[in-house]
Amino acid sequence: MYYIDLGVTGLSFGCMYAMMAVGLTLVYGLLRILHVAHAAVFALGAYATVLVANASGSVGLGFLAAVAVTPLFGMAVYRLLYEPLLNYRADVPMIASVGLLVLMQDAFRIAFGEQGVTFRNNRFAFTTFDLAGVRVNAVQIAIMACAVVVFIGLHLFTTRTRVGIGWRATVSRPKIATSFGVDVVKVRYMNFAIGSALAALAGGLVGLLDNLVDPMIGYVVSYKALAIIVLGGLGSVRGTLIASLALGMVESYGTIFMGQWLNRDAIAFLALIALLMIRPQGFTGTRTV
Amino acid sequence: MWNVKTKSAAFAAKPVVSLAGILALALLSGTPARAQIKIGFQAPLTGFAATDGKSAKIAAEMAIEEINAAGGELGQKLELIPYDDQAKSDQAIFTANKLIGEDGVKLVVNASYSASGRAAAPVFQKAGVLMISAYGVHPDITRAGDLMFRLVHLGPPQGHAAALFIGKDLHLKKISAITMDNDYGQATMDGFLEDAPKYGIQVVNKYSYSLSDRQFGSIVASVKRDEPDGVYATGYFFTAGPLVAQLRAGGVTAPIIGSQAFDSQKFIEIAGPAAEGTYIVDSFDRGRNDAALQKFFAEFAKRAGYPPENVAAITYSAVMLMADAIKRANSADPPKVRDALAATKNYPLLTGDLIGFNKLHEVIEAISVNVVKGGKMKSFTKLNDLEAFAPPEK
Amino acid sequence: MSAYDVSLLSVIGLNVMLAVSLNMISGFCGQVSLGHGAFYGAGAYAAALTMIASASVALSLFMGTIVGALLGLVVGFASLRVRSDFLAVTTIGVNFLFTGFVRKQSWLGGEMGISGIPGSGFSSAGNMVMILIFAALTIAVSFYISRSWMGFAFRAVSQDEDAAATLGINSGAYKLAAFGIGTALAGLAGGLYAFFTQFITADTFDFILSVMLMAMVVIGGIGSTAGVVVAAVALTLLPEAIRFVNDYRLLVFGGLLVLVIRIAPGGLADLARRLLMREAKA
Repeated sequence: MYYIDLGVTGLSFGCMYAMMAVGLTLVYGLLRILHVAHAAVFALGAYATVLVANASGSVGLGFLAAVAVTPLFGMAVYRLLYEPLLNYRADVPMIASVGLLVLMQDAFRIAFGEQGVTFRNNRFAFTTFDLAGVRVNAVQIAIMACAVVVFIGLHLFTTRTRVGIGWRATVSRPKIATSFGVDVVKVRYMNFAIGSALAALAGGLVGLLDNLVDPMIGYVVSYKALAIIVLGGLGSVRGTLIASLALGMVESYGTIFMGQWLNRDAIAFLALIALLMIRPQGFTGTRTV
Repeated sequence: MWNVKTKSAAFAAKPVVSLAGILALALLSGTPARAQIKIGFQAPLTGFAATDGKSAKIAAEMAIEEINAAGGELGQKLELIPYDDQAKSDQAIFTANKLIGEDGVKLVVNASYSASGRAAAPVFQKAGVLMISAYGVHPDITRAGDLMFRLVHLGPPQGHAAALFIGKDLHLKKISAITMDNDYGQATMDGFLEDAPKYGIQVVNKYSYSLSDRQFGSIVASVKRDEPDGVYATGYFFTAGPLVAQLRAGGVTAPIIGSQAFDSQKFIEIAGPAAEGTYIVDSFDRGRNDAALQKFFAEFAKRAGYPPENVAAITYSAVMLMADAIKRANSADPPKVRDALAATKNYPLLTGDLIGFNKLHEVIEAISVNVVKGGKMKSFTKLNDLEAFAPPEK
Repeated sequence: MSAYDVSLLSVIGLNVMLAVSLNMISGFCGQVSLGHGAFYGAGAYAAALTMIASASVALSLFMGTIVGALLGLVVGFASLRVRSDFLAVTTIGVNFLFTGFVRKQSWLGGEMGISGIPGSGFSSAGNMVMILIFAALTIAVSFYISRSWMGFAFRAVSQDEDAAATLGINSGAYKLAAFGIGTALAGLAGGLYAFFTQFITADTFDFILSVMLMAMVVIGGIGSTAGVVVAAVALTLLPEAIRFVNDYRLLVFGGLLVLVIRIAPGGLADLARRLLMREAKA
């Protein structure tokens, strides 16, 4: 029972990480840029959700607002920050991204206060269900459901729709894609838009789960999501999902059994580094070393 | 043409005015220009601890203004010299050196976290500057020298008091202990673990989490398996809130007892209905029938936009106590102020009565326990068994 | 010279050592390292423990350097297995592993850190001089390497490993060398830091510090010793000189990083170079 409990916890961690990391994977797959500022998009989504939800009284409206606003921000980041830097060494845009994240986090602190913002009427985090002896709350269920929907949706999108197939082509063979008439620039914008919207969704859900949105909410995302997509084989959506779930499980069981020697973040990174040394291309990536 | 004329007129006027001003001052005072008594102030205004830093600064400013409105001390006004130490040790040393070297400060109120207080203390002691640590709990702060004072209970005494409360007042036997793994969390938990056997408490299991954790699924599952009589946890409001919410959501019904830093309205906001019934040891008794306290409450809430917490109250009191010591010493000289502080007896802090300082300049004071009722912090009891949680003497 | 000036110059000296040593790894040799704080920290802890055990300043600084280098070599080996982005994440991981591990070990002080580290025997001004001497040494080493065959090899590895191989450059060996030297200097800086503060905690050596150091390297101009020195000095002084910067430190820092990269990705060094070229033409 206890181990099942830990397993469910691991699953919900995993789905949370998956939602956070998928946007990052999409960007890397296309542009080979580690979009660290993704965490800022995540935080922006969380803040938008809570602020609109508190102002309007409807959490649903909050989510809508977040998902509507963040793609614009994400596309702006691409246009203003990354596009001009595409020809530089890979770490240059990454460091710019780090700078943007640091800036945004402080901006959130200055604009919305150090204490953070709580949801005025959060029924969801406190509504629990008993599933075969395991207690889960409504938000955890929502996260898992969303993760399922998102990943199936992405899969269908990239294999069954023209736009999606064009997108995949652009990722793996940009020159051939162009010769087939795919507008590479449009694909890039779409990429950032979708990735950002997903980050915003994840942000809102995590904010709802914690019942608190504070300036550091993106902190965990920034480095863990990075580590996850590397594990998953940069650019592979399926790999990201597997890596996220794996990390969630490792953390859930690991913190109990290794809690005396390492704290939670360290455990996650230990697992990561160990795997990278054994399999440098991650779970599903192809070897480029 | 116009402009030139006006400009030169203004230029000509300026020096005349200042000269007149200086002459006037010199004539009026007849003594060298009045110095203000500088009170150095370190607080984490940015970084992860910015919440408390901001509260502390507002509270300190309120105290200074009040003192000055009443005429200051020794016929001089008090001036607050604030610096941001980001709750980091290297910044603490840096800003301490600034206060000593650049601002020539001799009296300091440190309203920052343990590590930074610990780093700054020896710097001040060596320079002969007196420091009151408002709420920093690193044990070595007072050990740095005789010019160091602390206005809050150390971690271990807080833990001792928690053991006393859980064992004697609540009569709970099996406890699951959850520590936040930073110095404050660990020191407090160490105190609890040390005294637990004294009151027949059996610690079923120990868990820990880090400052940035908000998801406690594994811990919740483990506590459920423990089936304890109660849960004792250390943490700040932003970890306490989610922790308590998730414990209750996970089906843990045992009473939850939290440490001092739980004591915040924000904790109740985050944990929502789950916060009901949570006990908090070494809390801030907000409902005390005290005019000064109620006035402070109203004024602080107006300035900050949120009600004051322990940090704000203790910082305000630290500044007031400093001024009071200056008055009693009839001097702003550190050794004299030190002696006056050490001799303090039954001084009313906003958080309670300070009975006095012990040899190590640690506080001797009763510990109050709050409980969350009806979505508000209510006073539950007061632990007067001073011996049980006496601070160390060296 | 006031106590403030002394501590300011000490901090500047330390930051210069850290930024210049990072530049050797990430700038000269192109190995992205976002965990430089870990080597700084390892050196500080090693020196602190050695000092408490032996009371020898020289031995403590030596141990700091060695431990920093050893940890650096371990990470250097990792860089042989994985390429740039993977390496970046690995170095971040090393940083978190370091702080996460140290906080849990009571013999390393745990959360309380190590306090009461015996002084170096010098006054604060003396410590400052010691730091500045080592900083100058670090800069000298950096210039020397830059102009030597090793520097050439580093740059070759940084730009194109395969092409470098055709020149007979064993890229693996040179990567290790870069890590070893850079992290040794960071470890030395750590030892000096331990004497400067006489109190160390794990959270000083966190990921944010590593990011700040990389920012100094980038803003100064990746690969340019002079540029990095200027950036390190400027970015340490900026919060002190401008109060606004101090209060909104991270906002300004992050904003500057973004602006510099956007407008002048080659950093200050590149700007200076272009200005000089323009002057030369005119």
